[in-house]
Amino acid sequence: MKYDVVVVGSGPAGTVTARFAAESGAKVLIVERRAEVGVPVLCGEGISQKIDDWGMLEGKRWIANKMEGARIYSPDGTMVRLSADMAGNETGYVVYRDIFDKELARMAVKAGTEIMMKTEVTGLLKENEIITGVKANQFNEEIDIEADIVVGADGVESKIGQWAGIDTLLKPHDLETCAQYTLTNIECDKEYCDFYLGEEIAPGGYAWVFPKGKDVANVGIGILASLSESGMALKLLDKFIGSHPELKKGEPVRLLAGAVPVAQPVETVKDHLLLVGDAARHADPITGGGLTTSLEGGKIAGETIGKAVNEQKFDNEILGSYETGWKEAFGKKLRRNYLVKEILLGFEDKTLNLLADSLKDYKFEEFSTFSIVKALVLKHPTLLMKLKPLMKISVEK
Amino acid sequence: MGKPKAKVDDKICLACGGCISLCPHDALSMLGGRAFVAEDKCLSCAICIRTCPVGAISGEVYK
Repeated sequence: MKYDVVVVGSGPAGTVTARFAAESGAKVLIVERRAEVGVPVLCGEGISQKIDDWGMLEGKRWIANKMEGARIYSPDGTMVRLSADMAGNETGYVVYRDIFDKELARMAVKAGTEIMMKTEVTGLLKENEIITGVKANQFNEEIDIEADIVVGADGVESKIGQWAGIDTLLKPHDLETCAQYTLTNIECDKEYCDFYLGEEIAPGGYAWVFPKGKDVANVGIGILASLSESGMALKLLDKFIGSHPELKKGEPVRLLAGAVPVAQPVETVKDHLLLVGDAARHADPITGGGLTTSLEGGKIAGETIGKAVNEQKFDNEILGSYETGWKEAFGKKLRRNYLVKEILLGFEDKTLNLLADSLKDYKFEEFSTFSIVKALVLKHPTLLMKLKPLMKISVEK
Repeated sequence: MGKPKAKVDDKICLACGGCISLCPHDALSMLGGRAFVAEDKCLSCAICIRTCPVGAISGEVYK
């Protein structure tokens, strides 16, 4: 079996990479260890409205709900409202990830990609230390899949990167450990994604309510793994729901656990190999949102691969334009937001409450450092000292 | 006889993969749709135990 490219993993980063590689003329195979693309869903299912401009998906079947904005609740319950264009990556749509993923896979197949299900990659094929494909187990049969380029789209638990000598190990400080119910029979304000902050609610993370309709929502929690104890995410999620007057009326139709990197990206290119999506740690360190960066990065990866296949060159030099490309597109933002995450983790509940109180009635014309400073000067000027490191980062951009 | 090793309860594990990305000893992997501890690699550091969102991993080492 010989391909130009083998993509390990059929999530959004993998299928978008495959699609754009195939569109540039490459012979592409996706291998998926599970028996169905997009299942089980491991995601809060929020995505930015930026996706409208990308034309990567057809139709509307993947959309559960369109959002008007986000509401952030500080530990004492003070609410700050942000409109969708200011709320960043996770506000825009709540999607059905199972359908969303299958649509992206369909687009990849339309471009000529082949998909193998129930095929678990067990190692890299190498000849004289050069990567020549992957070893896999398919229905308990060992197979070799030869390819000039291997793409690791194998998620947060990526082994592909590790096998290629990339340090993909996450520190507990750089991972959110998550649990989420899809709750039904609740009444929710379907125009808003809600975020709840506080040491008691979600240490080092937040709880979220992402409505999929007027009576159904993804209700989840992420806590920083370094602050976690055994089973804590699920326990705190149950507590959060139990203390919420509306959510506690609901019943779950789905439970999932998850792990979200809130880390700095890793090295993403080796000779004959690329990492995309969660495997590349392409998720926003503040929110944990990774769908937009996975799609954006996947497109750049696919186009780079197309070029490499056409020139029949597969070394770091030619594949390196993928790394340059994603760094240009969103690398700066990931780096900046990692620093912001570090600062936010140092804020006590008290500080968050004051911050929310300063911002709650402020009519944002734009969500910029300047407008936040203006709001703070008006209400709690002492907060400015605490926010100084944040200001510095946003001025540096 | 070494230290007691971490153990995954298949009846609780939801296969999210978080433990695999955190294990500093490469002892965890996904096997048959569940997390699996390779006992010869596990050094009983308990990171996986502390960070499992649903409490599926246990071990003597963790009190």
